[in-house]
Amino acid sequence: MSKEIFKKLQEAVIEGEEDVAVAAAKEAVAAGLNASEAIVEGLAKGMETVGRYFEEQRYFLTEVILSSYAFQAGVKVLKSHIKVEAESPGILVLGTVLGDTHDIGKNIVGIMFGAAGYEVHDLGRDVAPEAFVQKVRETKANILGLSALMTTSMDSMKTVIKLLKEEGLRDSVKVIIGGAPVSTRYAQQIGADGYATNAVHAIRVARELLENKIVLAEAN
Amino acid sequence: MQFSLKRRLLSVLENMPVDRPPVICPGGMMNSAIVDIMKSSGVTFPEAHHDSELIAKLAWEVHRQTGFENFGIPFCMTVEAEVFGSTINYGSLTCEPKIAKEIFPDLASVEFQPVEELLRNGRILTVAKAAKRLAQDYPDVPVVATLTGPISLAASIVDPMKFLASLRKKPEQTHKLLDYVTRFLIGFSDLLTQHGVTVIAIADPTATGEILGPAMFKEYAVRYLKQVVVGVHKAGVPAIVHICGNVSPVKSLLPEIGADAISLDAIINLSKLKAEFPTLITMGNVSTYLLEFGPTDKIREATMRLVKEGVDIIAPACGLSTTSSVENIKAMTAVVADTDVISKGGENYV
Repeated sequence: MSKEIFKKLQEAVIEGEEDVAVAAAKEAVAAGLNASEAIVEGLAKGMETVGRYFEEQRYFLTEVILSSYAFQAGVKVLKSHIKVEAESPGILVLGTVLGDTHDIGKNIVGIMFGAAGYEVHDLGRDVAPEAFVQKVRETKANILGLSALMTTSMDSMKTVIKLLKEEGLRDSVKVIIGGAPVSTRYAQQIGADGYATNAVHAIRVARELLENKIVLAEAN
Repeated sequence: MQFSLKRRLLSVLENMPVDRPPVICPGGMMNSAIVDIMKSSGVTFPEAHHDSELIAKLAWEVHRQTGFENFGIPFCMTVEAEVFGSTINYGSLTCEPKIAKEIFPDLASVEFQPVEELLRNGRILTVAKAAKRLAQDYPDVPVVATLTGPISLAASIVDPMKFLASLRKKPEQTHKLLDYVTRFLIGFSDLLTQHGVTVIAIADPTATGEILGPAMFKEYAVRYLKQVVVGVHKAGVPAIVHICGNVSPVKSLLPEIGADAISLDAIINLSKLKAEFPTLITMGNVSTYLLEFGPTDKIREATMRLVKEGVDIIAPACGLSTTSSVENIKAMTAVVADTDVISKGGENYV
């Protein structure tokens, strides 16, 4: 019974069907299933598949957006029924940097991290460096995700890192950058901890950073 | 045969032989008004976005100081979204205007207005008047006006996530919206052409293969870009289409758009693309990262490689950073202008 409902939740997310996800989530509640388990084994598993399809270029951003809407709709139903919160792998503060309003990719990153169990604080777009730093302090985040889609705005990432250092917060948070104009090389130049090419990759980078598996050398 | 700057660009777009490729920067998304030039000319952002005389003066200064062989206007990609009612943040000296907030939260709330009315709004006439001024004063220099492509424009007036989600789920509403913005873009092209614009460029950065995938790219991007191109042709001028990012998943669809030249990002190897699709006239694609950070010898090298590979029009690959230096841009344009290659009938370059 439970397996069947988990399967329905997965399928709804993979197909990007919001209504189906909501119906399946309600079914899970009615059947008395553990809500956290329904999220992890159902909705989040579906999102994992979506992530894999995206990497295989079977899915593109339009499909991922639909799936993430279905995921969020399902989570909304189940969330109020969670009895004990599962342990979160981390706290993510996320945003598109100052001077930049491109946020499609950044939104997907936020949703994917949510699906992977992270506590996500998405500050939106055109975010001032001070706002990032303040939020990191306030939430005790251990991952900071910075996105930029313009060569004109990417410099702001450097300012954020500088400010983290000045505020004595740099060692408490791993900084991951992403977006078309940036690269591993740029991450090294500005002293970020990691660079990710897309949302799925970002989750991997975050996990490896939190387990201290990768270290980017500081460029001279 | 001696080519004026205008004749050379038009010849390339007509697939006629020329002595060497033109080197241009079309404006709009690929704005070329950099801080160095604004400071030296005293014509600065954000004021220069609002006044036709300032637009014309700045475009002329860019042309004179950088060696780009065209005038490229406007200097942002918010002119269109503004007339539909989206909130614009006009930016600063170093930062181009951007959409602060799309006017419609979703497709269902879009209010449709007559195109003729939209064409009276915002900075439409400001841009048109600047074009007229430039075309009258400098008849040998091509005036390129760059428009925001239909997919990007739709995603600038409706919340972009909602818009992208609707591509698969609400095809009817999506087509209605894209038809609307396309009719507007054709009207704008027509107006600009009446004001002396030589070439219309259409930049559609949201219509990438990576965002849309082949199915949606064909269904929406190809269809409406093609309609804009047909409209531009009816207005009597050639059309260049710029697509951002990695077009590999959708490259076989590019010829269908019918553009007179296709401009692509730095990630694409243009000579390989040309070999695969011989009918395409290619434009691009000097890395804007390289143009911002140099060094100049690397810029010269990269530009020369594109010329040697037979890229038809040399241009930056994407939007220039406003903090790029005149020196770096001149390194790019000078290499092309110095190319001493003789045209042979039918073959463009050796």
